[in-house]
Amino acid sequence: MGMSLSGRAIVPVTITVTGFVVICCTLLYQAIKQDMIQDAVRHETALAQTVVRSTRYAMLKGDRATIKNIVTTVGAQQDVEQVRIFNKRGGIMFSSHPEEINRQVDRNSEGCIICHAGATPVATMGSMQQARRYRNERGETVLAITAPIYNEPDCFTAPCHVHPASQKVLGTLDIGLSQKTLQATLASLRGRMGLFSVMVLFLTIAGVSAILRRSLFLPLQRLTAYALELAAGHKDVQPPELDDELESIGRTLKELADSSGAESGKKPGA
Amino acid sequence: MSIRSGKSTTECLRDALLPGTPEGIQQARREAAVRIKEYQRRSLRGVWYLALFLGISLAVQRWFALLPDFSPSARQFLGAPPSAKMISGLLVVYSFAALILILGRMTSGSGAFSGLSHLGYLTVFYLFYHLGHTLDDNFYAVLAAGVTILSLEAYHLWTWHQERIRQEKQYILRLDRMREWQRG
Repeated sequence: MGMSLSGRAIVPVTITVTGFVVICCTLLYQAIKQDMIQDAVRHETALAQTVVRSTRYAMLKGDRATIKNIVTTVGAQQDVEQVRIFNKRGGIMFSSHPEEINRQVDRNSEGCIICHAGATPVATMGSMQQARRYRNERGETVLAITAPIYNEPDCFTAPCHVHPASQKVLGTLDIGLSQKTLQATLASLRGRMGLFSVMVLFLTIAGVSAILRRSLFLPLQRLTAYALELAAGHKDVQPPELDDELESIGRTLKELADSSGAESGKKPGA
Repeated sequence: MSIRSGKSTTECLRDALLPGTPEGIQQARREAAVRIKEYQRRSLRGVWYLALFLGISLAVQRWFALLPDFSPSARQFLGAPPSAKMISGLLVVYSFAALILILGRMTSGSGAFSGLSHLGYLTVFYLFYHLGHTLDDNFYAVLAAGVTILSLEAYHLWTWHQERIRQEKQYILRLDRMREWQRG
């Protein structure tokens, strides 16, 4: 069960260096992933606000054709999974998927429960709390944002509308973007970090092996060869030129060989 | 002397004072054989702790999500959980310190083993991530930390006991030579 000198040197260094690199890479990957998701949420919140502002004038004028056109056009964009506008009772008024229009959504469903968990619905919320993630039928991750459409003075003062000033939220806009690109980027990052860890592993093994071979094994081989020469009776051979510590062993071997030669040369009883 | 040879003072004294009688040699031989068995048993303790940690990790991944969450009043009493970034920072510092300490023990030739405390610390990291609702994202970081630290501990413990076993075998060899010499 014994292990060679190189094994005993390489194993702990490899475990320590590679293990620590893997720990740091795993945590770094999670930090980067969280930052990228937060960026995606910020981007999506801005997009949701753009859609809400784009439809605002049409909503004031009651121009349903324009709202429908905006929702359909935005929904047709690449990576946009869905765009929906809900009224305050949870009915879908406009959607990029026409078959959903006039459907009622359960308040307890994901995306609604965030605000409707308590007796009184929450009117304001941070962008991270508004975000939810789910998988679509193609198995892709979708990041969806539910942005409130707030009641503003020009809404409740308009002659055609009946919203009271006390009503804070008129409805919500739900927009979902496919995270296919983000997932591909993260997969690529995982691959690169895995490759980096493997490279660190090989470099550690190669580095320690090279240092050991150069600084220890080759000088030891020369020292062993020298000791064998002495043992064979070739006492005129000079010790090899090595580092201080190993050279002193060579000199000691030479002294031992010389003194044993002198002892054996002495006459008995002298 | 003990530092140069890697032996403890007791071992050096024991080696210097070999028993003089055949009965004493036989007794010393039996005791050395018992010590070898004990070292062999102890050398695998690190591997058992590593296996135990992997078992805990498996249980954490499978069943932690099923644990009931704290009630709102208990959460209010405990306060807000530490952020995932803070726990991750602590995990890096802990892993670094643990690896340095184990390497220090390897350098000094100490046979001390702290597998149990590492098991405790790592389980607490799982618990903190669970309470902060970020265990899914950070599970593999704790797993990597545990495997690295406990592998190094197991390796250190194994090599340290192998060295003791080698010394005991050399001692037995010296006893055998002494017995042969006494016989004639």
